[in-house]
Order: sequence, then C-alpha cells, then structure tokens
Amino acid sequence: MKHLKYLALFFVGAFITSCEDDFLEPALTSAVNGGSYYNNATELETAVINMYDGLQGANSTSAGDNHATQVEFYLTEMRSDNTRTKAQEGEAAQFESYSVEATNGIVADYYRSFYNVIFRANLVLANLEAAGSSATRFEAEAKFVRGYAYFNLVRLYGDIPLITALTGPSDTDVAYTRVDSDNIYDLIQSDLNTAIAGLDNTYTTRASKAAAQALLAKVELTRGNYGEARSLLENVVTTGNFSLESNFHDVFYDEDNSETIFAIGYETGGIDSQNFSAEWLNAVGRTSGVNYVTADVRAAFDTYGGNRTAVSFRQDESQATEYQVAKYFPNGELGPQYAADPTKAGNDWIVLRYADVLLMHVESILAGGTTTTDGAALASFQAVRNRAGLPTAVTEVTKDMLLNERRVELAFENHRLFDLVRMGAAQDVLSAFSSANGYGFSSTDLLLPIPQVEIGLSKGALSQNPGY
Amino acid sequence: MKIKSQLTLLLVFCGMLLTYAQTQVSGNIVGSDGQPIPGATVLVQGTNNGTTSDFDGNFSIEVDNGQNVEISYIGYKTQIIPFTGQDSINASLEQDLQELDEIVVTGYGTQRKSNLTGSISKVTNEKLDQIAVSRVDDALVGQVSGVNIAATEGEAGSAPTIRIRGTGSITGVSDPAIVVDGLLVDNDYLGNLDMNDVASFEILKDAASAAIYGSRGANGVILITTKEGEEGKTKFSYNTYTGFKEARQSDAYYFSIAGSEARERASSHPSTGGAGNISNRTLRKLQIGVDRDWQDVIFDGGVITSHSFAVRGGNKKTKYSTALNYVHDEGVLLTDDFKKYNLKLKIDTKLNDKFSMGVNLSPSYTNRRRFDGSTHDILRQTPWLPTYLDENTIQHVNRVRDGGKYAYAQVGDYAIQRMFDDWDLTNDVAVTSGQDISNTSNTNPAAKVIERDRNDYKFKLYGSVYAKYKVAKGLNFKTTLLGDFQHTKRDRWQGVEAHRNGASNAQYDVSNQSRIHFVSDNFFSYHFESNGHELDAILGFSAESWDTEFESASGQGYTSDLLQNIGAADPTTVTADSYDYAQRLISYISRVNYVFENKYLASVSYRRDGYSAFGPDSKYGDFPAASVGWIVSNEDFLSGNSVVNQLKLRFSYGISGNPFFNVGDVLVNNFPYLSLLQSSTAVVDGALATAFNPINIANTGLQWERSIEMNPGIDFGLFNNRITGSVEYYERTSDQLLINNPISSTTGFNNAIVNLGEVKNSGIEVEFRTKNITTENFSWNSTFLISSNDNELVGFGEADGQIQNVDSKRAAEWINQVGQPISSFYGWVVDEDIPLEYIKEPFHPIGATAQDVYVKDLNGDGLIDDDDKTILGDPYADVVWSFANEFKYGNFDLSFMVQASLGAQVRNMGDQYLFNQFNSGQDFNTSTTPNQGFIKQKIFTNDIVQDASYISLRNVNIGYKFDENLLSNLKLSSARVYLSGQNLIYKTADNYTGFNPESINNTSPTTWGYQRAGSPIFRTMSIGLNVEF
Repeated sequence: MKHLKYLALFFVGAFITSCEDDFLEPALTSAVNGGSYYNNATELETAVINMYDGLQGANSTSAGDNHATQVEFYLTEMRSDNTRTKAQEGEAAQFESYSVEATNGIVADYYRSFYNVIFRANLVLANLEAAGSSATRFEAEAKFVRGYAYFNLVRLYGDIPLITALTGPSDTDVAYTRVDSDNIYDLIQSDLNTAIAGLDNTYTTRASKAAAQALLAKVELTRGNYGEARSLLENVVTTGNFSLESNFHDVFYDEDNSETIFAIGYETGGIDSQNFSAEWLNAVGRTSGVNYVTADVRAAFDTYGGNRTAVSFRQDESQATEYQVAKYFPNGELGPQYAADPTKAGNDWIVLRYADVLLMHVESILAGGTTTTDGAALASFQAVRNRAGLPTAVTEVTKDMLLNERRVELAFENHRLFDLVRMGAAQDVLSAFSSANGYGFSSTDLLLPIPQVEIGLSKGALSQNPGY
Repeated sequence: MKIKSQLTLLLVFCGMLLTYAQTQVSGNIVGSDGQPIPGATVLVQGTNNGTTSDFDGNFSIEVDNGQNVEISYIGYKTQIIPFTGQDSINASLEQDLQELDEIVVTGYGTQRKSNLTGSISKVTNEKLDQIAVSRVDDALVGQVSGVNIAATEGEAGSAPTIRIRGTGSITGVSDPAIVVDGLLVDNDYLGNLDMNDVASFEILKDAASAAIYGSRGANGVILITTKEGEEGKTKFSYNTYTGFKEARQSDAYYFSIAGSEARERASSHPSTGGAGNISNRTLRKLQIGVDRDWQDVIFDGGVITSHSFAVRGGNKKTKYSTALNYVHDEGVLLTDDFKKYNLKLKIDTKLNDKFSMGVNLSPSYTNRRRFDGSTHDILRQTPWLPTYLDENTIQHVNRVRDGGKYAYAQVGDYAIQRMFDDWDLTNDVAVTSGQDISNTSNTNPAAKVIERDRNDYKFKLYGSVYAKYKVAKGLNFKTTLLGDFQHTKRDRWQGVEAHRNGASNAQYDVSNQSRIHFVSDNFFSYHFESNGHELDAILGFSAESWDTEFESASGQGYTSDLLQNIGAADPTTVTADSYDYAQRLISYISRVNYVFENKYLASVSYRRDGYSAFGPDSKYGDFPAASVGWIVSNEDFLSGNSVVNQLKLRFSYGISGNPFFNVGDVLVNNFPYLSLLQSSTAVVDGALATAFNPINIANTGLQWERSIEMNPGIDFGLFNNRITGSVEYYERTSDQLLINNPISSTTGFNNAIVNLGEVKNSGIEVEFRTKNITTENFSWNSTFLISSNDNELVGFGEADGQIQNVDSKRAAEWINQVGQPISSFYGWVVDEDIPLEYIKEPFHPIGATAQDVYVKDLNGDGLIDDDDKTILGDPYADVVWSFANEFKYGNFDLSFMVQASLGAQVRNMGDQYLFNQFNSGQDFNTSTTPNQGFIKQKIFTNDIVQDASYISLRNVNIGYKFDENLLSNLKLSSARVYLSGQNLIYKTADNYTGFNPESINNTSPTTWGYQRAGSPIFRTMSIGLNVEF
C-alpha cells in the first residue's frame, strides 16, 4: 500500500504528458486559415471588401503599413503647381522642388501600397470559382480596383512590373521586370471593360459601372482615344444617376452626394480613419504643414474660381502669410480646437465625381485640339461654371480654359499633375512654375523614381527611371 | 579525518614530554602526494607571528605551548595544529577538491568541472548582488568571456541585449535561452528575478553543451540556479543598498544659446548680418533669458534601493530557503521608474532512502513606468525654451498671435515655442506677424513626457514540484512538473496637455496578456562507477505547452485628466482587440558521460524536438552532440610537475537549434506554415463592412535554424593553481537561418519568413585567473577575460548582396553580402563638409549642422551614384575584454572591474535629429554651391557611422567586514558595509557623439546597429550593508 502512493506520484508526469495525436498541432483560434477559406460567395466577399480596405490605407506612421490613398497628395498635388510644404523641410519638400530622391520613403510607400492593392485584387480573381453566381460581379469589382491601381502606378512610375496573378518571394523575374507602359494600359483597358460589363450602379464606395466607365474614359483620354472616351462619358451622363451638387461646399462635406461617382470611405476615430485632413493643417497632424497652397494656384482662383475659392483654401490662422487647403477639413471641423481627434478623420476621399466627368467630356470633344465650339462641350463646361457662380455663357472652350477650369474645380483633389501630363501641358507649365520659384524641374521629373528599396532588393535587375 | 586524529594523538603524546614555554619549532609541509609545498603560510593563530615554507617545504616558527598553528596554501584545505610541545610540526595538506572541482550545472544534470568536455562558464554570485542594478542580467556584464551584454536601452528596468559568441541567428531572436532552476523561461523573466536569490549562473557556450536544450540552444544557454537551504543552523540574512544614479551626458549634444551667439558673432555669414552681428532670431531668443540644455531636464538622475531578507537552513532530511526581495530603481530619465517585489520558497525533503521530493515557488511582481518619449525628439528642443512659464518668461508670450491662442497663458503653464513667435523687435512688442523663433509647433518636450503615464505591470509565478525515486542502485527516476504563469498589464494615458491638439488627442490604451506555461520532465538517470570507469547517463521525455491570451482596448474623447479609464472615453472612439494562441513542444533527451581513470573523458548526447509552429513535414529536428577530453595532468609523466598541476585538452562538436523568430505578428510567429487571414474593415456607404486580409506568405517547409559548432579548448592550472585559466577556439556555423526577408512589394507583402543563408561566427576566448598574493592579512586575485569574435555571412542564397533599410524616411542602407559581416553599414564615403558660406542659415536652429556633405567618387567616373557606395563598417565588436581585481586586507576588501569593447560601430541617427539636419536652414544654397552633383545627405554616408568602442570602470566595491567579536555582542554572525560604484569612468571613442555607444534600436539582425540617441549610460554610487544572524 505504501508503494502505491509513490507509484501514483511516479506516474503523474506520464499522465500529464500523455499526448494526444494533435498535441503538436494546436488549434488556430485567432486567425482564419487561408488555405481552407474562400469556399463560397460570402467568404470571397470578405476578400472583395478587403480591396477597399487596401485602397483606404492604414492611418498610421508605421513604415511597413500600406498607406495608399492617405499619402497620394504628396506624389500628385505637391508635384504640381498647386501645393508645397509650408517650411520646405524634409523628404516631403523633395516633391515641390522636383528633387525627389530614389530613397524617398513616400515614393516607396505608395508603390508598395498599390501593389498590395493589386495583390488583394488578384486574390479575389484567383478564388473566383468559389463565388458561384456572384463571380461576374466580384471579377468586375476586382478588375476595377486592379485597373485603378495600375492606372495610378503607371502614370506615376512609368514602365512597371506587371503582376496579374498571385506571386511569391521566388517570382523575382516578374517582380523585377519593367513592362512597357503600353502593355500596362492594355491590361487596364481590358480590366475596366470587364468591370463595366459586370457592374451596376448600386455603390459609390464600391466599384460601379459608372465609376468604371468614367475611369476608363480617363484612360482613353490619356491614350488619345477621344471617341471612346466620349461615348463612355456620355453613358455616365445619360444614366441620370449623377448631378452636380448645387452648393460646392457640400461636395466635400455632405458625403455620398449626388455628384460622387466613386469615393474611398473613411470613418472617424478608428482604424478606418484618415490623417491627410490633419496633415494639411498647421501643427495639427503628425507631419503637418504639407500640401500648402501655392501663390500660383491662388492667382488661378482669383481669375477662375468663382464661389469655389472660399471653399477650396483659406488663410492659415497661425501664419498669416500661408494658405491651407479648405476641402476635407477633419470631420468638417474648422479648428483650431477640435472635438474629435483631427488625425483620425472620417471624410471620404472622392476619386471620381460628376464635375470631373463633365470636364472630361469637354476634353474628349476637344480631342487634343486647342479649341472647340461644340455645343455638347460648351454645355458640359457651362454646367460646371454655373455651379461655381460664373453663369456668363462661354462660346468656345480652349485647351487653356479647360486646364484652368479643371485646376480650380478639382484643386487639391490629386488631379492637376495628371491633367497637365495628359493634356500635354506639363512641360511648359511646370517649367515656368519651377523657374519662378527657384525649383529644378526637368522633363524626367514627370515620372517618379522606382523606389531604391526595390532596386536594392533586385540587386540592380530593376532599372531606374532617367534622371534619378 | 584519520590523519588528523592520528596527528592529534601524536601531538598530545609529544606535548606531554615538553615543558610549557615559547619554543622555536621547525616543521615540514607536504601535499597529500608527499611532495613538499613551498610558499605555504604558517601562522600562530591570534598573533601576527607568521612565516612561509621554503623550497623544500621546511619552516621554523616560535610558538607557545597551547597555541594553534595554522598552515594554509591556496588550493589546499587549511590545517590547524595545536602546539603542545612537540619537537616538529609536520603537515600533510589535502587538496581542496571543492575549490578545484566545482560542481557545474549542465542542464538536466551536473558534472564535476574537471570532467567537463564542453565550454561551460560558471559565475557564482559572490558580490553580484552588490552591483546596484535592478536586473540580474545587467550585473553579468564582463563576467564571462564570449558573453556580451549591452545596455541597448537605458531606461529603468529595460532589458539589455545579451549575445553569446556573436550574432548567429538573423531572425531578431539571437537571445540565449534562459533556464531558471530547470525551467526554460522567457527572457523577460530576467526582469523579475532578484540577484539576492541567485546562487550561480552557468553559461553553456558551445553547441555540444547547449545541444541538450536542442531546438533552443543555438544562441547559448544561461542556467540560473537559485539559492537553496544548507544543513545546519538557520541563517537569517538581510542585504540592502541605496545607490544614486546619474546619466552620462553627451557634450556634442549640449546646446546653449550663449554658444550659438558666440559662433554667430564670429562668423561673417550673411544670415547673421555680417561679422560681429547676430541674427534677429538669436536676439529674440536672448531676450527670453533662459539658457539651459534639455539633457539637464530629461536626464534627471535617480535613486536605486534594494532590500532583501532571507531565511535559509535545514537538517539532514529537509532543507529550505525563503526570501523576500524588493528593488526600486528610479532610473535616470524623467518619469522612468521600476519596482520589483519578489518572494521565494524552496523546500527539498528526503522522505526515506529511496524517495525525495521538493517544491520551488516564486511569485514576483514588477511595475515599470516608462519614459514615454524619445530622447532624439526632446533633446533637439532649443535651450531658450523654459519648461514652465515663470514671472519673467511670461512677459515674452505673444498673446495676440494665432487668433489669440495664448491670450490666457499663465505662470506655471508649459512653455510652447510658438508662444514666443511674431515679435516686433524694433518696438519690443507682440504682433500678429513679426520675428519668429520657433522651429517646431509641438508642445513643450517635458509635457510630452510628464503628461503621459505609461506602465507595465507584470506578475509572474514560477513553480515546480518534483519527485525522485531510487529505482535501483545508481538508477533514479525523477519527474518534475514545472511552469510559470505570467500576466502583463500595460496601460498608457496620454493626457490632455501631452499633445499640441490638447484634449482631442488625449487617449487611454490598456492591454492584458496572460500566459501559462507547463513543462513535464521525466528522466531516468544512471550512475555507475567501478575500476576506474565512471558513467553517467540520462534518458528523458519532456512535453511543454504555452497558452497565451491577449486583449486590449483604446479610447479617446476625454476632456480632462480626471478619469483615466475606458469607461470615461467617448464610446464611439473605443476600439478593442483580442487574440490567443498556443505553442507545443515535445522532446526526447539522452546523454552519456564517461570517464576512464580520471584521464579520458567522453560525452555524447542526443535530443529530438517537435515544435508546433512548423508544418507537418518539418515538425521534428534532431540535435546530436559529442565531446571528448584528456586530463593530461593525471598522466604519470605530468604528475608532480612543479609548474603544470592541471592540464586538460578537450574538443566538442554539436548541433543545436532555434525555432524562434519575430516577424512582428505573434500569430505568424506561431503559425508560419499557414496562410493567415485577419479581419480588416472598409467603409462601404458609410457603414463598416467586414473583410479578411492575408497577413503573411505561408511557408509550409519552414524548419529549425541550425547551429553547428566545434570547440577545441585547453584548461590549465599552473604553480599550484596560482594561475588557472582556459584558452578556446570556436567555429559556429548557423544555417537554415530563420529570416523575415524583405521581398519585392509587388508580391503584396514586404517580407516573407524563410530558411535562408549561413552565418559563421568564429573566435577565441581566453580566461586567466591568478592568485597574485595570498597571505593571512593580504590577498590579491585577478581575472582577465578577453574574447574576439568574427562574424561572416557565408551564404545568403538569392539574397546575397541585398540592401535594406530601417526607416523609409531616413533610408540609410545596410548590405548583406557574402564574405562580409551580416548587416554591414553601406553608403557613400564623406569627402568634405560643405563650407558654411554655402549653407543658407548655418546657425539655425541652435546646434544645427548641415544635412549634406560632399562624398567621394570612389570609381572616379565623375558622378556619384550607387556604384560609389561601399561598406562603411559593421556593428560587431572585434575584441571585448575585462580585467577584474580583488584585494583583501584584514577586514577590508576592494574589488574593481575594467571592461572594454573595441571595434564595433553604430549608425548614429541621433546626429540627424539632434543637429536638426533636416531643417531647411541647413540646406545648401542651390544657386551658389559648387559641385552639387557630389553632395549627398549625411545619413547616407559614413558621417553618422561612429566608433562605438568604450572602456569603462564597470564596477568598484570597497567593503569592510566587522570584527566577529564585536558582532557576537550584537548576536550577529557577520556584517559588512560597502561602497560600490558602476561606470564611474566611461570613455567613448572620439568621433562618437551620443550618450550611450551600447544603445541599439531593436531592428532586424540584417539591419543591426541603428542608434537613435536612445537612453544614456549612467553612473551609480551606492552604499550597502550585508548582515547575517
């Protein structure tokens, strides 16, 4: 009996460790196992929504995060004649002075972020067979998002790697091969055509037929296919779903309004918020004092702005000589005191709106020429002017008029640089702007450098854009 | 015993024959082998009357009848012979086996030091508990060759970085395994241990020794044994110290408005208005009347206190040890603070001849308040800015600017740079648009720290029970259940004044993590000894589990600092997260040690581990090891050699592993073979829509990192062990490295965890321990340790030549190139500074320097591009040494250790921040500056690659032991007071600008050596008391 006690203790260890077969395979409880997921449309829809999360970007300063749309203004607006930094400091100031370096972190951030968006789209496309009857719509959405991402990348970086399927670390040949931008545009066109065919106009913060048409129209304009662009735009107009907001202010502060064709959704406070609204102010965001308004664009507003001027920018209360963007104030609050954290703003970001469509319509009719008196063009142009409180009828639209109109209508909405390039005015306009401000613009500055980090990882296989 | 009683008899007998008077007596001293011992100390107890033996072991001394003669010699047991009138005093000294033959803990067993064939260093806690540091690992600096401990973070309670024989793993987890009383714990456990409770450290350095820990031995193993009770009278002990800490400031980062003024006056730069003049900005700053460096504010010094009370004792059957410990370290930074409470109970008992058992329990609790800021951010604030407004400085606040934002500023408010902008210098009045002096819109730097309250609260419970049963003669079975439970709460309050946006940015974050860790060890051990054969074997099975839970919440929308909890937050801002995960490990362990005739030694071990984080095809790994030794000094031809009395040659070879890596996501760390999806959300039509986002690229074949090491060595003892030491060489090749390798972002990811590459660490370690002088009243011992390690990337597959950076905003580069050390600094080489005349505003802000520099056209092609970049250095020390000395004179003792690390470099990004190199005033003038094509930012050059060498007086300790007679009146058995100092002298290399060359930001091992000012090295002066009764 005495030994029994000892024996019992003796086997305690063995009892505790009597291992079950799956001892070495504990359950995964806090993540979904992607290897056995995407079995039906509901599950695949979580991958579809995930694309929009990608476009949204993380509201963070963490270097590895995808920031996507949150940092887009640096690469677009601040490389145009519209905005600059307040203090000409740091890597943000490289954009306005056309002295971008290949090591610029924002350049790498955007590249990385939009390839991550492309990955998310490719993930949907790779699992389409699970979607059943939703396959057409999901494919269309994925291709819209992929087309949009490639369109941004190709315009900013030129020839870029073409990734149309899921890739891994060993796929270095595609990762480090730059594909001619014509081929990239072919994919964008094809993707957006698929999107148009498979979508309706249910959403504005998810892909829609109208969004795909408007986006494809912009692609066609970029490639000089004016006729195609015109018919796409007229399709958008004739849906009757969209109209100009009567009050220009409401375009930016009354979300999901009649003018919105495609927007990226944000929500105040949490991980779905954005920080660019705060960054554009003085000492409010983390960096702050970026995307400040140039004297050049203020002059344009003086001439062409109408009632848009007051809604587009304002004087900086802290530094009276400086001017800030007035579109997208954090959660609509004017400051300087904020009720909600301004660095976690909920303003949606509008990618495509009806005024843009109308002005693209004019552009498609102008068709690369310098002037038009076409009635349809005049009507579209006049509609935008009327809303701006400039009802004087125009009798012709010149390329310069269109550029100026687009500039003040769509100021600080990341269009200006692309407009100048697309309409062949970038070289002249930016050269003049640059020399007036002591910057160093040259034609190679129209493309950003391929991020140095990618070139470093490719060990030189990836070539750099000229001028860097 | 026998000899002693015989001698006594003889002496008694002789004494009877002699008269009672002081007599000159001669004698002879031999060792147990009959050889004479020269130089032994002979002393009449209680007198100063002493002598030493001559070359033949003979001596002569005057002694009274009834007095005791004490004969001592190092390495031998002291003998006391009563003088009773005998005509000669002959002594045969026994070797002190305890001293020569320490017992060394080897992992799942012990071994006599003389029989070791691997590389294991033992550090006994003699005075380590008198070093005034709050963590046990901080006290180990310089104690063991090949073990480098760097104060990579200087905050109170923060963990140092420990590297045994260099960086082998490149996963981010190159830390050694820590085993406390048989339980492999998280490294974090070191923060909860109390040094007063530690008996010894054993460091398993070579792979053959570490292989018994198999998959977790690749970076070496530190075995910590806590104190246990001893048979005999119950001993109470109380140890305490109080130390005063002071930060080591950087002269280079010392800024003053007076210094800046002087430089401006001396310069004829146009921005100052010509020679003899100063800029309006500086004029305005001088008006405010404050001039003090921010290092003096942020490095506020602190006090460290320790109390430890222990009771230890036991009888033949039962031994016990219990202790209560408390440490409070205020740290040298503003707000940092660390408190530790630690309780200990250890009982071992023999129930009968066959059965014994024991229990070991230790709860501990730490509370660490963090320095919630970045020194690099705070210290670049200009010296004219006061912390708070006072009667004088408030006169300079501009109450009209910025829409009247500062109209209601009061004495006692935090001073903000913008408050002093827009001054009309002509009329000395505040205006809405005038002279600006601010260079940041941020709030006061001290407010950022003081108005944040960030704490880590850690409760850890260590426990183990064992039962040991003697199955047969020499054969034992032991089963042990060990485990630890840890709970960590972290909270962080960012108050309404902590941010320039005020209350809208106030935020509270709280998280709780708990983990329960169980181990069941089941071992047979066998001992056999006969005819010169000696065999020890173990065979065991072990299963281990960890279950971790985490939850966190965060809230905003506060209006005051009054309620700092989630409940007071605006509910719409509250976010929460939680996760849990499990890890499992199964091990089969075996080892045989064999000794033949005390000369020939061999050891073989084998461990097989299975780990849950690897995929079905690669769950198991095998970790074999073998080693041999030859005790040459036990051979006949060396026996009795007067010079060499100990000599052992040994060689070991083994394979150990490392399963741990850190990709920044705990779920990926534990399920890397699966493609993991985590929830993400997007806003669709104003509402949140749920999504899942892939967070990793699955690697189904991922497996153990391997470390293969060979280690020849020599242990020696010379001149009767007056000089002992060892010399060894090692070559450790780590392959199949677990690395979170950067990949092209076109994959959708930035990194992927892979087994890749091969790193070789090779080096020499030398230890010398000498007993320089040993007499009754005075002794002097020295220890000299020196090691050198050479790190080389041997293979890196496709990734060879890969260039990485740490911070995309400051993209200084590292290259991982075969044939070079891993993570070598990469970039351009500085040619010369840009002359000040070309800098726009060289004196703004205060202390600023140019951000650019001319670099060298290394390939001479007339332009600067990637081809002109080269390797600029590496972050690994070439040589590390320490020299420790111990003196004893009467009741006084003195010890000190000088320690140095030479040849490492750091990339000190602190310079870029502290010298405001991003400020537009520091830009060069694009219209006048020549050769602009040769200009690059300093951060991409060797300008900020600095020599991180240092030499320091690490520890000094002067003690006085009170006389026993005095103490017996107080009923004390011993008492000692001491003064101690750490880092009293700390010298850095000339081109090092920071305040802590050991500071390293914890980045990936492929980008190691990044410093961003960090926290300072500090010196400590302390006074302590040890009492036993």
